[in-house]
Amino acid sequence: MIETNIFTEITANHYLILSAVLFSIGMAGVLVRRNIIVLFMSIELMLNAVNISFVTFSHYFGKVDGQVMVFFVMTIAAAEAAVGLALAVAIFKRFKEVNIRFFEHLKG
Amino acid sequence: MSHQVLIAILLLSPLVGFIINGIRFRSANYLLAGSIATGAVAVSFACAVMLFVELLGLPAEQRRLTVSFFEWIAIGNFKVNAGFVVDQISSIMILIITGVGALIHLFSIGYMHHDKGVTKYFSYLNFFLFNMLILVLGDSLLTMFVGWEGVGLCSYLLIGFWFSDSAKAAAGMKAFITNRIGDAAFLIGIFILFTTFGTVNLHELNALAPAALEAGWLGTVGLATLMLFIGATGKSAQIPLYVWLPDAMAGPTPVSALIHAATMVTAGVYMIVRLNPLFVMAPNTMMVVAIVGAATALLAATIGLTQTDIKKVLAYSTVSQLGYMFLAVGVGAFGAGMFHLMTHAFFKALMFLGAGSVIHAVHEEQDIQKMGGLKKYLPITHLTFVLGWLAIIGMPPFAGFFSKDEILWQAYSSPRGHMLLWAAGVIGAMLTAFYMTRLLALTFWGKSRVDKKIHPHESPFVMTIPLMVLGLLSVVGGWVGIPHVIGEFLGHVPNYWESWLAPLITKLPSATMTAHSATEEWILMGSSVTLAAISAVAAYIIYVKKEGVAAKIAQAAGPVYKAVDNKYFVDEAYFAGIINPLLQASYNLWQYVDVNVVDKATYKITEIVRGGGFIVRSLQNGNMQQYAMYVVIGVVVALSYMLVG
Amino acid sequence: MTADTFLFWFLAFAIIAGALGVVLMTNPIHSALGLVLTMVSVAAIFVTLQAYFLAGVQLIVYAGAVMVLFVMVLMLFDLKNEIQAFSRGRIRGALKIGSVGILSGLIVGAFAKALIANQALGAKGSLASTASTAVGAIKPLAENLFFNHVFSFELLGVLLLVIAVGTVALSRSKGGTHDRN
Repeated sequence: MIETNIFTEITANHYLILSAVLFSIGMAGVLVRRNIIVLFMSIELMLNAVNISFVTFSHYFGKVDGQVMVFFVMTIAAAEAAVGLALAVAIFKRFKEVNIRFFEHLKG
Repeated sequence: MSHQVLIAILLLSPLVGFIINGIRFRSANYLLAGSIATGAVAVSFACAVMLFVELLGLPAEQRRLTVSFFEWIAIGNFKVNAGFVVDQISSIMILIITGVGALIHLFSIGYMHHDKGVTKYFSYLNFFLFNMLILVLGDSLLTMFVGWEGVGLCSYLLIGFWFSDSAKAAAGMKAFITNRIGDAAFLIGIFILFTTFGTVNLHELNALAPAALEAGWLGTVGLATLMLFIGATGKSAQIPLYVWLPDAMAGPTPVSALIHAATMVTAGVYMIVRLNPLFVMAPNTMMVVAIVGAATALLAATIGLTQTDIKKVLAYSTVSQLGYMFLAVGVGAFGAGMFHLMTHAFFKALMFLGAGSVIHAVHEEQDIQKMGGLKKYLPITHLTFVLGWLAIIGMPPFAGFFSKDEILWQAYSSPRGHMLLWAAGVIGAMLTAFYMTRLLALTFWGKSRVDKKIHPHESPFVMTIPLMVLGLLSVVGGWVGIPHVIGEFLGHVPNYWESWLAPLITKLPSATMTAHSATEEWILMGSSVTLAAISAVAAYIIYVKKEGVAAKIAQAAGPVYKAVDNKYFVDEAYFAGIINPLLQASYNLWQYVDVNVVDKATYKITEIVRGGGFIVRSLQNGNMQQYAMYVVIGVVVALSYMLVG
Repeated sequence: MTADTFLFWFLAFAIIAGALGVVLMTNPIHSALGLVLTMVSVAAIFVTLQAYFLAGVQLIVYAGAVMVLFVMVLMLFDLKNEIQAFSRGRIRGALKIGSVGILSGLIVGAFAKALIANQALGAKGSLASTASTAVGAIKPLAENLFFNHVFSFELLGVLLLVIAVGTVALSRSKGGTHDRN
């Protein structure tokens, strides 16, 4: 065990635990919420958590590759949000609903 | 030509005829089909003659021509070849089979000329001959059994030839099934012999037979031979499995002549003669054989007294005469049994063909109460039939006299014979004379009861020539086996038959033939012939001279006559005691076991699978978040495994 | 306590609060506002980790563009309160939260296990670093990006192009060169 006070000395662990908690909350949101848009937002939460983790490692190992990864993740997350929202709009126009309890067509 | 080639041609010629006619089976060209078939059998007959001549040229101890075509079974040390052997016994058999067979094929050309299935018929006949030759020439019990089964199959095919009539088809099935019961016993006999002696080769078995005495195997040998005999009762129509032969008259008459008179039914006798060293080692079995033979001879003869179908009379006569053959081999007179086999082939085939000629003449009528006075319309048929009649009732110098007399003498004088067996044989001979005379009287003699619209006419040459040849054989056929007492009387005429077969026949232990004098033999011979003659005359008087006497006797006999007329209700007893209980049991098995247990178990399994599928299906309810949850659970499992393990 | 310590705890609290707001609020607009709070706080976290460029990009892209998009779409739907915001079934819900909890515990455990061995990562900023030579400075980042990963970088551009075209195609209802009307 590291002999430091958890609350005064900020180590990599703190950031990583923050990232894990954020990721879990995002995942819980994906599993529990029924509105498509809120679902997407929870996915964005998960991606941000991962970004935090990457940057943490980049800082603490002294390499910049982690930040390059974050760069890519951000881009792709933005692109995916755009497409996802376009889909959501199309669904809304067709079904007048965005609550996924009406979309159980995969049943079988 | 070497004997291997001769044997090959002998066997393959009827097979080739079968294939050629089988391919053309839809054709109704009776001349072509008949020529192919008869030609094939004639070729086989020529080979048989040549083989016989070759055997004649060899010294007595070496008369054994063998050939082995290929190795049939090879399991570990157990080897069985497709081997065939021509020796004293089988050479006679193949001469009879192919010779009489060729004549019957010739007859069939005329008899079946208007039948649409004539080519199929000839192909079946050839196939039957092929199988019969395998049976008699095979050198091991298994090869013999192949032929045994094959002739059973052909018998079924030919009995049920007109299968569109369900009664005829049922007769075919009855024959086959009854045969099969015997075959089961036959197989058990083969198994016992194999486990005891370690071989199924006939030559080896016969050589090992005397060793059974020292080895203390007499019990198993007795059991095995008893099983083999039960198989023989199926094939050769003895008690208790004779019931198929009268029904087998549903087939065409030449089939009855060939299969159920001359060849197939003799297979049982042949088998016992072949294995006579083994049977000699089993005196209890031989006693059973003799008693069953005598009983069958008597039983069938009594039934023959009341039958009105011309073919049924001859069928029961065949059963009876087969009983004589078994009586002979049962008392140890194997040579006499085979002698009667040959002479019976001649005169019984003759009479069946004659019956066929009569049936043909009166337009398929088979009831002898509607015949009579056919003498003047069918002269040749009548003459040859008379020759056969004289032979079967045992009048000297016809063929039947010598063979039947030899059997009766051996039944009396053999160490394993008995006075009662002789008495049964004599009574049977009297009955035979009676019903055969009755048959002739009602068919050929006396007033004509034929339907006025039918004008009987003599059969064409194709049919009468075989009759004439067989008639000649019925006259002279017995002269090869003249017994010693008569031979001495006639001036040192030897018994060719006995000397020919002697090397293969095992003498009974403690066989002392000198205990009986020639005078005894003359007395017995004379009495049996006289009694038979008296019966014949009595029948002539009852049926020709005095009308109505027969009916009065039948009424006086009352219930006895009723029993005999209904064949002692044997068929009914079999149905009630065996067949119907079996059917009921199998019905119950179906209802209670198959439907309730087996089917329900199968349904239960499908229900289980269905239920499982139902459970698994609920995992896919279209709820995407649940799918995501499964992913999370999977990740949890994987991570924990990686962290812990 | 030092400024770093205070900043971290404050921002961590903000991030968690925002995230909980996203997940627990029934009105989706409230969820969107919670997400904005989270995004901005994450940008601040990046600053405390001396990833200045990324902090800026986070604010511009995420908080500036993506969130605007989200809010705009929500405005389009004009939903008041959800009829059924959360999925049904208590057992299922408990199973979900439970599995997520286990997952987070496992992740933390994995990190802890890995970092125990690597005690060099003890204190924050233990490596000597100045603003110019700081890891998050733009120049090293750009060098790494353009020298080592240029292909992926260009590919990203193509991806964005494809996304743009796709989004336009998805949202068409009428019109266009292949319209059948």
